[in-house]
Amino acid sequence: MGIGANNPLDGASDGILASRAADGDVAAFEVLVRRHGPLMRVYAAKVLGIASEAEDVVQDVFIQAWSQLDRLTDVNAVRSWLMRMVSNRAIERIRRRKDHVDVDQWDAPIPANASPEHIVEVNMQMGALAKAVDRLPEMQRQCWALKEIGGVPYAEIAEQLDVPLSTVRGQLARARRTIIQEMEGWR
Amino acid sequence: MTDNEPMLDGLNPEDLDGHTIEELSDYLDAGREPRDPSIENSPGARIALDALARLRNESWAMLEIEALDDPNRDQSWIKNVLANITREARAGRDIPVSHPDAQTVLNITEGSVRGLIRAAGDGLGGAIIGKVALDGDVSVPGAPISLEISASVPYGENLVALSQLLRDTITAELLVHTELNIDVVNVTIEDLHTDPTEETP
Repeated sequence: MGIGANNPLDGASDGILASRAADGDVAAFEVLVRRHGPLMRVYAAKVLGIASEAEDVVQDVFIQAWSQLDRLTDVNAVRSWLMRMVSNRAIERIRRRKDHVDVDQWDAPIPANASPEHIVEVNMQMGALAKAVDRLPEMQRQCWALKEIGGVPYAEIAEQLDVPLSTVRGQLARARRTIIQEMEGWR
Repeated sequence: MTDNEPMLDGLNPEDLDGHTIEELSDYLDAGREPRDPSIENSPGARIALDALARLRNESWAMLEIEALDDPNRDQSWIKNVLANITREARAGRDIPVSHPDAQTVLNITEGSVRGLIRAAGDGLGGAIIGKVALDGDVSVPGAPISLEISASVPYGENLVALSQLLRDTITAELLVHTELNIDVVNVTIEDLHTDPTEETP
């Protein structure tokens, strides 16, 4: 299976790859997984706050995607289709967690992600942003990631997380405000 | 933002000419439409709006950098995904192949014929085959079948000549390996790509 640097499928568009994958071409599917999987994993980690859970989510999403690719109407929108599935799966996990955890603890800060440390070397600004995001209280971070990155509408976040719409708006605004205040030179 | 605009001290309504961050977020989400002069004419609100827009743009950039940060980290779950997908799911219809022994029924799957077509077309003039559809009753020997094939070809290729080459090569390949009665092969050039082999010296 073509994993090498010279895989000719690497040059193909998402649409062509999704069409092939829907026809059963595993090699094309693998290129899609490698192309979009890492970003999906990082997005899921921002929502969930736990790296291992993010990997589980992305695996589940791709296995589901493989079986549903033939139903994808716009093959060129494969990335947003995948990201939406990540949002849904991540929300599912948050809901499941809420069933087990006292809601009062839900807003407690979570341990920072392991990832931002080495990003700092790549780009100070991005590192500062990643740290600011990871320092957010859990619910603020969840709302922020789902809306800002996943593009999930307020109403859907509110409904899925079973909180009032005003809470989601408020959490998101607080998250944005905190991040902006922490980003030097942004104001 | 121009130089003579003040720095924003805070993000409270008093710093934003009475607007709240929620309000500005909504306004930004709506694409700054319809235009709200009380926001657009307020230096404080404009700075906050710029910062909110910047946050949105850079969030994606941050994610992309994080995603590329450790290429090895994704190896194991990707392996798991590929091990756990069911390859049989896309086998499609059975296509009969005659056998000297009349008692023996031999079939090839539609999925494997698609694979054959992709293998025949991939790389011809740098082409990458996309969707392959076999229209017609493939389960009936001799029934006319039309092929619908989409493809991506490198920039600068002669599309007419390359489409013809794809048609001819694929038809010939199917004649060798199957007994399908190919009526027509329609090739749709759906995409153009840069030839990756030309990018690296």
